[in-house]
Amino acid sequence: MAASPATVPAAAIRERPSWLEPLLVQVAALLLALLISLAIGAVIIILYGENPIDVYSAILEFAFRDATSFGTVLSIATPLIFSALAVAVCFKAGLFNIGVEGQFLVGMVTATWAALHLGFLPGALLAVGVLVFAMLGGMAFAAIPAVLKVKTGAHEVVTTIMLNGIAVSFLAWALNGPLKFTATEGAFNVDLRSDKFSTDALMPNIGEAFGMKPSADFSLLFPLALVAAALVWFLFKRMRLGYEARAVGSSPGSAQAGGISIGAVQIKVFLISGALAGLIGMQQLLVDKGALVQNYEAQLGFVGIGVAFLGQNNPIGIVFAAIFWSVLSRGESALQINTEVPREFVIILQGIFIMTVVIVYQVARRWAARRQLAREGAIDNMEDSSATDDIEGLAREDA
Amino acid sequence: MFLEDFGASIQIAFTYFTIIYITGLGGLFSERSGIVNIGLEGMMIIGTVTGSYGTFYFSTELDMGVPLGPILGLLFGLLCGALFALIHAVATITFRVDHIVSGVVINLVAIGLARFLSAVFFGQATQSPPGQPKLSPIDIPLLSDLPWGLGRAFQQLSPMVIVAILLLIPVWYSLNRTRWGLRLRSCGENPEATRSLGVSVPLYRYQGVLLSGALAGLAGAFLAIEESQFWREGQTQGLGFIALAALILSNWNPIRLLWAAFLFGFAQAIPLRLDDFFLFAWLPPQFIRMIPYVVTIVAIAGFVGKVRPPAAAGRAYEGGGAL
Repeated sequence: MAASPATVPAAAIRERPSWLEPLLVQVAALLLALLISLAIGAVIIILYGENPIDVYSAILEFAFRDATSFGTVLSIATPLIFSALAVAVCFKAGLFNIGVEGQFLVGMVTATWAALHLGFLPGALLAVGVLVFAMLGGMAFAAIPAVLKVKTGAHEVVTTIMLNGIAVSFLAWALNGPLKFTATEGAFNVDLRSDKFSTDALMPNIGEAFGMKPSADFSLLFPLALVAAALVWFLFKRMRLGYEARAVGSSPGSAQAGGISIGAVQIKVFLISGALAGLIGMQQLLVDKGALVQNYEAQLGFVGIGVAFLGQNNPIGIVFAAIFWSVLSRGESALQINTEVPREFVIILQGIFIMTVVIVYQVARRWAARRQLAREGAIDNMEDSSATDDIEGLAREDA
Repeated sequence: MFLEDFGASIQIAFTYFTIIYITGLGGLFSERSGIVNIGLEGMMIIGTVTGSYGTFYFSTELDMGVPLGPILGLLFGLLCGALFALIHAVATITFRVDHIVSGVVINLVAIGLARFLSAVFFGQATQSPPGQPKLSPIDIPLLSDLPWGLGRAFQQLSPMVIVAILLLIPVWYSLNRTRWGLRLRSCGENPEATRSLGVSVPLYRYQGVLLSGALAGLAGAFLAIEESQFWREGQTQGLGFIALAALILSNWNPIRLLWAAFLFGFAQAIPLRLDDFFLFAWLPPQFIRMIPYVVTIVAIAGFVGKVRPPAAAGRAYEGGGAL
């Protein structure tokens, strides 16, 4: 802005490390949002004549009481980690991939096809093949908005919303046609689904090694999700493409002036995002159900947007955000068993929480930016800036 | 008979048209005022569950019967849609949260809230008791007597279909011939200039978003009351997004929206009646359902015509009056 760039680092170094303050603001904002939403939740609980502390501790207790419980939480978190990573990768490059939902559905279709048709692959190679096809499906579907954006300028938000609708119908068609079960024995009272996969295609359940019962559905996919998070971290911290993506995301003009091909970066980032999105469905496909079923769990791509926001698009933050989200989701059963509050209360709490987080982060960011400007003494010579408008507006409201 | 099926398809198309058109008009008010609203689907979902409950409560519990019960149900859905849209308005206008982010959250929250409300209203999270009362269907004079089964298209229509078509008049007039409409549109084109004329941009944007929620809620209530006569989870089937697609294809113009909504409504209806028609024999019904989305992508990509959204839509307005 108007301030000379040299003053910024100087001022920051004198006080504290430059990364500390944004981090503190973020943590404070997160805690504030948590407090606000727990308070709103408490009001609802009290209306049901229950004690909020009892209800909240029932939710926590249900998630952490033993290894199996926590394993279940981690299995719920697994698809959310993939989903939020897919969102975050695009977000860092200034792209909003609302199509994660559609890419995940197409990934399930291609993975199902692979699981049913690549049986010639020996042993565990089949599972690998299925994962690769899931990623390819997601990538192919992510390539459409990417290419349209680069070639025609079509905004990715609109195209991906439309592609989500297409993906829902595509999956319905696949399940009614090419992927429909062929083993008809006793099938007339079976819900519409694909044939069951062979065990080689499934993800091995590794819960026993951690003292969990098989019902936790804790499989190799969770460590894979952690690996994905690490890779995304590495991409943005250590790789050229990650650097270029961040440059395109924060300042397309300077990125182009610096010799970065914006279009190429956007397409690559979208493909990576699509590959991650393709893996979202693997928990239900290869661990929970062992087939593609008609009443599959949808919306995971949208929940990922919320989780990515909670984690502030940071891979480590995303892992914790996904686990936190899953602790709440698991709490649904706790409510049903232990309290009069309907289990759907948890979904409301999640919704209130994510909305509060979004708003509090936004307010905190503006507050931090204003403080920064004030510290630089830049406000005086920025008559027309948004910052002074804000302050005028506030002053008027106060009056 | 093909013509008879065709007539029946048109009749079903009118129902979908009503949903898409009313919701699309909602999106029109919001986006012309400068607030992108991809939360239409969520607002519609709230309209379905509350509209259904309103009808249930007023007709059965309070024994008001038809037509008062369903009418109050529709109005209850409208009111709750507007209330729910208030969240989007506060987030995007007062707190300047990114419009897309807020819209996504709105859609997520709506699914959960609908389940919660349903548990509170009906004691079960996924559906209401079936067979609730609806408005008496009407036959359109003259048109319903058309020969060769074509009259079928204009028989047994919900009165709301007529209301939806007539909505065009007040919407077009208020947007294009009143000071209010001019100001609302200018908030979406150039908020800074609008403010310099002493108009409160946030005030108009709040009105735009609340209207969008009210109309989406009404459309949702229509879906639950008039089309299905009960509420169930997943009832909207992405119709809110189809309304968004129609809005884009219409270039944010209420008259063109009428045609786009009917076209997309027809695409929804075809698989229900015409799937044995020879043209569709090789085209699975699921692919017909993709048509609205494909058409919109083609339009957005600029292969046909030119799509021009309101200039300031989606951009945070930094002027005074909001936090």
